[in-house]
Amino acid sequence: MLKSKTFVKKTRSGGVIKVVREHYLRDDIWCGSEACSECKQDSTVLQTDASIESSLCSYPHYLLPDSNVVLHQIDVLEHPVIQNVIILQTVVQEVRHRSAPVYKRLKDILHEKEKHFYTFTNEHRRETFVEREPGESANDRNDRAIRVAAKWYSQHLNTAETQAEGLKVVLLTNDQGNKQKAEEGGLLVFKCEEYIKSLIANPELVDLLALSNDDKNEITSSKVLYPEHLPLSRVQAGIKSGSYLQGTFRASRDNYLEATVFVQGEGDTSTEVILQGLQHLNRAVHQDVVAVQLLPREQWVAPSSVVMQDEGAGKDDGVEEDEEEKVPKVSIAESSRKPTGKVVGIIKRNWRPFCGMLNVSQIKESTRHLFTPADRRIPRIRVETRQSSTLAGQRIMVAIDGWPKDSRYPNGHFVRSLGGAGEKDTEEEVLLLEHDVPHQAFSQAVLSFLPQMPWVITPEDMKQREDLRSLTVCSVDPPGCTDIDDALHCRELENGNLEVGVHIADVSHFIRPGNALDKEAANRGTTVYLCGKRIDMVPELLSSNLCSLRSNVERLAFSCIWEMNNKAEILKTRFTKSVINSKASLTYAEAQMRIDDTSLNDDVTKSLRGLNKLAKIFKRKRIEKGALTLSSLEVRFHIDSETHDPIELQTKELLETNSMVEEFMLLANISVAQKIYDEFSECALLRKHPAPPLSNYDILFKAAKSKNVEIHTDSAKALADSLDVARVDGFPYFNTLLRILATRCMMQAVYFCSGMDSDFHHYGLASPIYTHFTSPIRRYADIIVHRLLAVAIGADSTYPDLMDKHKQSVLCNNLNYRHKMSQYAQRASVAFHTQLFFKNRGILNEEGYVLFVRKNAIIVLIPKFGLEGTVFFDSKDKAAPCVVFDEEGPTLTVEQHTFHIFDKVKVTISLDASNIQHQKIRMSLVHPVIPGVSVPASDAEPQAKKLKVDR
Amino acid sequence: MATVQVSEAEKVYILHGIRDDLRADGRGCEDYRHMEIETDVVSNTDGSARVTLGHTAVLVGIKAEIGKPRPLVPNEGYLEFFVDCSANATPEFEGRGGEELGIELSNMLYKVFNKHCLDLRSLCISEGEHCWLLYVDVLLLQCDGNLYDAISVAVKAALFNTKIPRVHISADEDGGKEIELSDDPYDCMRVDVENVPCIVTLCKIGHRHVVDATLQEKACSVASVLVSVTHSGSVTCTRKVGGGSLDPESIFEMIEAGKRVGKSLHAPLMKLLQQEESLGKRRQKVGFLG
Repeated sequence: MLKSKTFVKKTRSGGVIKVVREHYLRDDIWCGSEACSECKQDSTVLQTDASIESSLCSYPHYLLPDSNVVLHQIDVLEHPVIQNVIILQTVVQEVRHRSAPVYKRLKDILHEKEKHFYTFTNEHRRETFVEREPGESANDRNDRAIRVAAKWYSQHLNTAETQAEGLKVVLLTNDQGNKQKAEEGGLLVFKCEEYIKSLIANPELVDLLALSNDDKNEITSSKVLYPEHLPLSRVQAGIKSGSYLQGTFRASRDNYLEATVFVQGEGDTSTEVILQGLQHLNRAVHQDVVAVQLLPREQWVAPSSVVMQDEGAGKDDGVEEDEEEKVPKVSIAESSRKPTGKVVGIIKRNWRPFCGMLNVSQIKESTRHLFTPADRRIPRIRVETRQSSTLAGQRIMVAIDGWPKDSRYPNGHFVRSLGGAGEKDTEEEVLLLEHDVPHQAFSQAVLSFLPQMPWVITPEDMKQREDLRSLTVCSVDPPGCTDIDDALHCRELENGNLEVGVHIADVSHFIRPGNALDKEAANRGTTVYLCGKRIDMVPELLSSNLCSLRSNVERLAFSCIWEMNNKAEILKTRFTKSVINSKASLTYAEAQMRIDDTSLNDDVTKSLRGLNKLAKIFKRKRIEKGALTLSSLEVRFHIDSETHDPIELQTKELLETNSMVEEFMLLANISVAQKIYDEFSECALLRKHPAPPLSNYDILFKAAKSKNVEIHTDSAKALADSLDVARVDGFPYFNTLLRILATRCMMQAVYFCSGMDSDFHHYGLASPIYTHFTSPIRRYADIIVHRLLAVAIGADSTYPDLMDKHKQSVLCNNLNYRHKMSQYAQRASVAFHTQLFFKNRGILNEEGYVLFVRKNAIIVLIPKFGLEGTVFFDSKDKAAPCVVFDEEGPTLTVEQHTFHIFDKVKVTISLDASNIQHQKIRMSLVHPVIPGVSVPASDAEPQAKKLKVDR
Repeated sequence: MATVQVSEAEKVYILHGIRDDLRADGRGCEDYRHMEIETDVVSNTDGSARVTLGHTAVLVGIKAEIGKPRPLVPNEGYLEFFVDCSANATPEFEGRGGEELGIELSNMLYKVFNKHCLDLRSLCISEGEHCWLLYVDVLLLQCDGNLYDAISVAVKAALFNTKIPRVHISADEDGGKEIELSDDPYDCMRVDVENVPCIVTLCKIGHRHVVDATLQEKACSVASVLVSVTHSGSVTCTRKVGGGSLDPESIFEMIEAGKRVGKSLHAPLMKLLQQEESLGKRRQKVGFLG
């Protein structure tokens, strides 16, 4: 039977069109219930024995939630107790339309077999299709459709042929009107909360309930705290006319009353608008897309440099009245004032579940508590829970439900507990969640695209490939590396020239464009390495087995082969897909030993020596061109194999072989970048490193000057040269410190699409063009580069998205974001392990250098641990010493002593666990001795030694 | 125009018949053939109607779009006509064969329907900026004489059937105007068709004139007069077509006859349309295969 659905819609250009869709109704849409013998269905989802222990419904029943219940109570539905639920197509469509994240979660539940969730396509079943009536709103129609379907189900299940007597359908709705109409129609209907509260066996479900509207009112006072948000239509009209600006809201980390909105203007122009005060922030949460209105120029302010944390509110809601006064109203010079505005409307909320901890209310029986997120930029959230005593001291996740205008804090509900605070697994989970690192296990859909095991190379595979199995290829990697994505070879040719090959795992052979595996990898963007843990970008079968170029197995590779003479001048470059058989997987140290051991003369060693010799020439040439060698201290933890706790810290040492591998990887990357750019000038995926603006170097200038050393920053080459000659007698560590400082001045390197940009230069490597080709197992960018190169040499076919520069640009943005987040996550992981290390060690005394001088503190670097810490000179409980800051030096004079950059100091290191969410390393000054400021050297040294003996 | 060949003897037969007010198919001189009307036949238009008159069949679809009013009349919307002569109707229309006739017909329709017959001001959304533009598409499916009359009836029926989505202009404080669409598909504006005229074509055959001439009768006619008449009997437009000449006396007579016939055409047409409308969803759809 055919029906047509008609609706009118507005087009983007302002026109109005009428859309007509054909809608087919059928009789063969089954109910999905095991109990039904009438429907001719192959498999059933809903069980006959559908019993959830409820005090309201003592009979077996199916649940049928309406759209709002699904949208707001998805956390409840996800709970394993809730089973045998009928999700109507009407509901699925409405959810999809209203919230993409909830839709995705709903889809996931529907796919889960154990949950027994059934989608009933009521819109296409003849009996349950309803047409919209004149004067009926779309929502009313949907509600009616849901009621009709519920009615149909209850009648259908009670017809003669059903086996189970008394099986009923329970409609869940939160809408009073809908409930009433359903009751009039003789349906079994409950409010969602009523029903959940009736589940006696599972009281924890009540906490998962999101607060509905009538709940919020009773919590908060009637006092309106915030101005009303404008409706979206007016916001959009305002943005169109230019009276409002649209931008991303970024809360300040240090001051909860301040935020900036980053407004992307036309072209490259973008402005930042400052927002100050709760009223002006107007309930925006970090990362929301908001509309702001600029204030008149005389009300513009400068960003305050005060650190302010929202503390007063933890006690009671009453104290908040004069908070506004706390905002420093200092008259500021005209020049430092920035555009200032206020939030008038929210365009898109970007709420996600937040990690954090519960501040248990002082009132014992209270079920309402405040939740403090780990991210300081997120406001506290009010939650209701009965499990506060168990949740105290745990890391939990909370989702925001809404932020009414009369409530100081947003309302939220408890989602799940991650585990005890300070525990290693919990903290790891937290830092992955907070850095938005996708770390769930790979889904079945993704795994289905993996090759079948046992896997062999077929003649089909060999067609496009060169057989390089006979070559003496070997790989050099850090110890314990299982995802080997590069291998090398070098051999002498008959004409006296050398042939050098870099072989990269051919990941693009296994990951075909557009499938679930590819999409997942593109989303993850990069493998994330935490201390003692790796979050793979591709499933382990690929990363550690089929794509890993392990020794003595045949592996598919993408090879870049050069012919060069003994002066390391490249004569010929070619690229090919190949099959290799690595002869040895070495560590850097092993490779170094082979090169140094003159008694060894096998093929692998000879190959390594040839490579090493060439690499040295390449490095020299590169440095002559002005490539920078910068320094940052990398720390390795020796991890106890049983407890997985760090037992020793060590800064990474660099061997010759490290730089040997690096040189050839750079060479391969540059060669490939050139090739794909020549071939696809519009859509090559490249990597650039912009030159930093001169002002970035200020701190480096000043620091060098204090030791009477000149630094030139006119070009990368000048900088590299002046860094090389920068030495101070009797201070061997000076040069490293200077390089660390120089690193801090640099910009971030980014991926980009060649058709969208004109500046390709890589500043750090002093290369006009660069890309990433050599690590496809752990970086998605490399996979795209592989595909481009494969198309360029005719080894693979192309696909539309690869040649679409806009799509590629979007991909680059994601890769850059994931890359940045993974680095933050990595740093956070190192920081956490450092804390664990010092927790086990107690208090230590160490020597360090002053790296920066701040207004009220110095930042000290401990070379031994690669650890940076801050020594504050003002603390809350002590009278502040006389501190004078001189910006020109920069120097800081505390009482009589003046600190300069690079001063050598002695500090004690301990773990400050007073704030369990933000544990940090605390440093206090020991030497030079300043009365009233420095602390006596702790006698922790012997204790630490004792610890070592114990071990 | 589609024509048929008629022999001398046939002509005489037709002429004699008409002289005695008895036409070849049994009608009197001022009688129409059997007419069928159905509205709302094309779902993706805003209004549509199908009319058959004898074997003549036309389909009219109306699409409403938002456009800019003409500068001389900033507070009015307007209608645009397009007549497509399908090669289905007659093989002569194949390729560009129907183009000339199409243009002629659409020009005529434009003249008849754009003046005073509709309240064009009701089509204005905001003065000088937005108005509704009604695209009237006429499709000739079969030609068996008297196209004008059939088309005009179909246009009137389609206009009656037209449902224009209701829009609101929302203005914010700084004068920016935004068109907002009602979210209810049933919330729409109707066109007042009371004053929409119908065309009556009168063919001069011998000393008399007939309405609704068949192709054979048309072949006997030297000239014809189009009269567009509203329900009250007022003439909005007259036009002479055809090569022959007419004496003033008979023109006057023909117009009088046109007024008479036109007036009596409107009442049953409106009754029929309203009756069909009142059936709403219960109406059995006939469509083209019925």
